Amino acid sequence: MELKAEQKIEATREQVYAALNDPEILRQCIPGCETLEKTSETEMTASVVLKVGPVKAKFKGQVELSNLTPPESYSITGEGTGGAAGFAKGGADIKLLADGTATRLLYEVHADVGGRIAQLGGRLIDSTAKKLSAQFFAKFCDLIEAGTQAPSIEAASDPTPNAQPAAANRIWIGLAIGVAVVIIAVALSR
Amino acid sequence: MNDQANPSSAERAAKLQGMGSSRKRVEDARFTQGKGNYVDDIKLPGMLFGDFARSSHAHARIVSINKEAALAVPGVIAILTAEDLKPLNLHYMPTLAGDVQAVLADEKVLFQNQEVAFVVAEDRYAAADAVELVEIEYEALPVVVDPFTAMDADAPVLREDIADKMEGAHGTRNHHNHIFYWQAGDKEGTDKAMAEAEVVVEELISYPRVHPSPLETCGCVASMDKVNGKLTIWGTFQAPHAVRTVASLITTIPEHNIRIISPDIGGGFGNKVGVYPGYICAAVASIVTGVPVKWVEDKIENLTSTAFARDYHMTGKIAATNEGKITGLACHVLADHGAFDACADPTQFPAGFFSICTGSYDIPVAHCGVDGVYTNKAPGGVAYRCSFRVTEAAYMLERMIDVLALKLGMDPAELRLKNFITKDQFPYTSALGWEYDSGDYHTAMEQAMKTVDYEKLRKEQAANRAAFTAGETRSLMGIGVAFFTEIVGAGPVKNCDILGLGMFDSCEIRIHPTGSAIARLGTISQGQGHATTFAQILATEIGLPAEDITVEEGDTDTAPYGLGTYGSRSTPVAGAATAMAGRKIRAKAQMIAAYLLEVHDDDVEWDVDRFQVKGNPEKFKTMKELAFAAYNQAIPGLEPGLEAVSYYDPPNMTYPYGAYICVVDVDVDTGVVDTRRFYALDDCGTRINPMIIEGQVHGGLTEALAIAMGQEIAYDEMGNVKGGSLMDYYIPTAVETPEWETDFTVTPSPHHPIGAKGVGESPNVGGVPAFSNAVNNAFAHFGLTHTQMPHDHWRVWKTAEKLGLTG
Repeated sequence: MELKAEQKIEATREQVYAALNDPEILRQCIPGCETLEKTSETEMTASVVLKVGPVKAKFKGQVELSNLTPPESYSITGEGTGGAAGFAKGGADIKLLADGTATRLLYEVHADVGGRIAQLGGRLIDSTAKKLSAQFFAKFCDLIEAGTQAPSIEAASDPTPNAQPAAANRIWIGLAIGVAVVIIAVALSR
Repeated sequence: MNDQANPSSAERAAKLQGMGSSRKRVEDARFTQGKGNYVDDIKLPGMLFGDFARSSHAHARIVSINKEAALAVPGVIAILTAEDLKPLNLHYMPTLAGDVQAVLADEKVLFQNQEVAFVVAEDRYAAADAVELVEIEYEALPVVVDPFTAMDADAPVLREDIADKMEGAHGTRNHHNHIFYWQAGDKEGTDKAMAEAEVVVEELISYPRVHPSPLETCGCVASMDKVNGKLTIWGTFQAPHAVRTVASLITTIPEHNIRIISPDIGGGFGNKVGVYPGYICAAVASIVTGVPVKWVEDKIENLTSTAFARDYHMTGKIAATNEGKITGLACHVLADHGAFDACADPTQFPAGFFSICTGSYDIPVAHCGVDGVYTNKAPGGVAYRCSFRVTEAAYMLERMIDVLALKLGMDPAELRLKNFITKDQFPYTSALGWEYDSGDYHTAMEQAMKTVDYEKLRKEQAANRAAFTAGETRSLMGIGVAFFTEIVGAGPVKNCDILGLGMFDSCEIRIHPTGSAIARLGTISQGQGHATTFAQILATEIGLPAEDITVEEGDTDTAPYGLGTYGSRSTPVAGAATAMAGRKIRAKAQMIAAYLLEVHDDDVEWDVDRFQVKGNPEKFKTMKELAFAAYNQAIPGLEPGLEAVSYYDPPNMTYPYGAYICVVDVDVDTGVVDTRRFYALDDCGTRINPMIIEGQVHGGLTEALAIAMGQEIAYDEMGNVKGGSLMDYYIPTAVETPEWETDFTVTPSPHHPIGAKGVGESPNVGGVPAFSNAVNNAFAHFGLTHTQMPHDHWRVWKTAEKLGLTG
């Protein structure tokens, strides 16, 4: 499946980065996400309970970041398996563009989805995917807005400590979006 | 010398409700009251339930199977995998086509939803829960979905189990994904006809993969009685006797210790001919546990794992003169059989009776060749409401005739009339070697054209096209003409067998002392109304009322051996056996009558329901009286009782035919095709029950509508089944189904005892090309030669778009 979409977020790029830097925020944003763990500097795992029509299963996903061109673009590859329900393997290219005080998040996903979840007809999966995407970004925007008042944002965007954590942060941002997108992509198949 | 003038004969005949009577179906009393007894209605004490963990991959190596979590589900008794079946040598089973099929995936999976593990539990819910918890780790392998790439040099090896076995069941395989090449006809002569022809048309006609999708899915209950060593299996079997033999060969249980029972079956349409892993696993589970085990697949499992139909990609080529006389036909087929060759065809015919592809036309020379290939799709290739591959052949030819008509600028009906086999040519031997028994095609076609006022329809179409060009309408009228000849009633034992079992059929009749009877047959009804029609054949043959005759099928412990019901073979074969057994009864009754009437055997004659003394019809004995006499008279030279059995080996196939005309209106802006009119004339020879025939035609036409307009088991490039549920797989309801107009001519089969040819499948064979020709014809004046089925709204709209018609 292929998916190309764009989401406008009413926050600066820095604020979006900061929010995406928080695995806890991300866990809250991905619908059905139970765990989200970083396993190395460029890898993370997540488990998500997804329900598409009659198929409900826990998907375990792993993603890896590559082609880093901080801060504009990243590539993410990953795969998720949901046992009898199916599996997904794919990737996403993500761009963050400043748009005045807002941020435009562009994402392009390609994923191969297999198994029972892929057998379900397009109508059902499209509507589920739309719903999941909407849920993700609604929650994400809510949390960013709440977070803009939080003092921790200041600390996260403070470049002073050293260069390494900043780079790691950007990796985290990419990973976080990647996990969200790839896992949502599991539900998107034609 | 029957006294035809005697009105009492006619009255008595009417009372019998024999052949020709539109007798109401006796089965319907129980079906309409929800009292049918299907496999899933069978409940036995202590019965366990089986369910499959299936592959999510189309092609992958199985790295590991972890049963632990699944076994922990309360109520789960056991989980079988290929490793468990191997010691029993049951991890592979023979298919009906001479191949083997994995019962449970052996080291790798070859299609999505392939059976990997069989969970046995105390109830269905526990089994389903455990299936979700069987952890199967896969290593994905490259997938072959497109049959046209299956034999590429670098195509992955699908069947590792037979990779080095280049001699297949049907000759040499020339690639690791090749199954067979089969051909018929004169290649050289056909090539010559093509080279010398004034006109040649060629087109790739694909008949997509579809599924018979009976309302009731496949299933069974296996019960091993460990005390007497007898295995009983109730199942959705279209051929219970053959299943018993196969089961005996597979399990090595002696055949007399296996009892196969087909209870009521909710539609088969070919889907229930094959042997499936569920049957084997349920039997093994019952043998191991000693208690009954039920397996019933769900709708998705049915659509995605048990026998599909068609998937024939046919390149047709016709040579003709400028005047439209066909001079040759060639066809090459690429047949996608999926992961295992599990076609249900007579052994010598790996492509079924595809060589009927010269159809109703007098074609001097022809050749057809079929290459079967493996792909990462579900196995099958059954005859979905048709005789073996006949509907594919009819579709290819009837589309090609329209393509030729377009090329020649001739009317499609006129072109057909010009090339029909004429009445006086019967019995007619086709270029591909079939001997057609009887037919009168011109009469049928002319009757059809006259009834629908074909000429007026074409005028109306011309006006519609002018109006469309003038921008006055956005709707295009299409007229589809199809004329088909089937080959059914397989078949003569000399060339038709399945796994070595000759394709005869049988009937055993017992007349009870009080003049009622039971007839048992080797066939099995799946909704065709056998209990009604076979009793009618007997009523006419033995003179007892149809309502006093019980027809029983499907229990191998009681019914005589027969090859079952599919390929429109019940009436042509078992129906003939019924008539012949009835005649044996009558022959004995004649001797009893002569004894009782104190005359010589030759001095009595049959009259509807009695034997009477020739020239003295007042002296007679009714069949009812003779039945009683058979049990209470000591007749010198005659054994007591009145029973007969007949095993009928048909001397030839039968060749039903029909003329169908379909009128559609196509909305070019939405792609919606509205069937304005559908007229179906069938000639099935002698008509036993006109009402049942009409019902069969209605059902078959509705399936034809479904196939032509929407059914497809499609796969994406990863081998995922797209639309393997009824949300996407098209089953028409009353809303989409147009009104059917049915008609008939009667040209009896000369070699069949009652002249009947079979009708159940004709409407599917003729209906699909009629619909497809109508849709194609709507666009024909824009130069469209062919567009692939199904003609759903999207594809039709795309066709209109490609032709630049959409606004």
